[in-house]
Amino acid sequence: MPETIDIQMKKGVLGLCVLAVLARGESYAYEIASRLSDAIGMGEGTIYPLMRRMQTDGLVETYLVESTAGPSRKYYRLTKAGHRALEDQSAEWRGFTDAVDALLDPQPIAPQEA
Amino acid sequence: MTKEQFIERLRAGLIGLKAEAIADIVADYEAHFADAAAAGRSEAEVAAALGDPGRLARELKAEAGMKNWESAKTPSAAAGAVLGIIGLGALDILVLLPILGGVVGALIGVFTAAIGIFIAGGVLFAAGPFTPLPGGVAAAMLGGVGIMSGAAALGAFTAVLSVWLVNGLIWYGRLHYRVLKPALEN
Repeated sequence: MPETIDIQMKKGVLGLCVLAVLARGESYAYEIASRLSDAIGMGEGTIYPLMRRMQTDGLVETYLVESTAGPSRKYYRLTKAGHRALEDQSAEWRGFTDAVDALLDPQPIAPQEA
Repeated sequence: MTKEQFIERLRAGLIGLKAEAIADIVADYEAHFADAAAAGRSEAEVAAALGDPGRLARELKAEAGMKNWESAKTPSAAAGAVLGIIGLGALDILVLLPILGGVVGALIGVFTAAIGIFIAGGVLFAAGPFTPLPGGVAAAMLGGVGIMSGAAALGAFTAVLSVWLVNGLIWYGRLHYRVLKPALEN
């Protein structure tokens, strides 16, 4: 299954992506889901269990915004712990991708002059 | 699948949760359908993009069970959380049951013993001064208090161990489900 690693990676970074999206601006689930499904091609339905998990973990909080048409809409924003988690996880992500990039680089590493 | 069918299957999968929790979850998905309709997408298209409602329900149910356990460390919350994880297929029930049965049995045994010892200490404390025990009144009363506090410590230790055990199971189940299971099922 060549696509396994693809799905596994996406599933792993989904939480980080949601944190990043919310750091740019408070948003509601449909918007987050469509942004992420456009950007990294994830199933839209998984956003709801994920948002609940992040709420349980105290990374995001919700508030209702009155809507002119229909019922009021549930918005999500990052908590302090959410901002911290974003910082930690993006640093981890950068370190990881840098290391993988270095390995994938076709250029042989120049021998160090002593 | 239409919106009605999707919501119906989701509801069926969520049976067992509190009515307000179900209403909350259903409202999320109804809002999703409404937003998608506003963006010009058909119900069938949205239902397909959302994925299997039964699977989503199992995931949401497990999440609710864990949240419950985090807010109240009661035996029923523990059972709910562990059953939710088992429902995800993240813990293999056939492997788990004999082990879990033994461990839970042992914990209940120790807990019962702690209660018994506590009562024995109470009896010694209350009745000791009126019986011809060596050491006199003070020794009997102090001994009774000592035994009671020992039993309380044993009970507390068992409780901490149980909480730790359930947390461990949840951690394992979550990790297993999030990292391995989706990759295998997709």
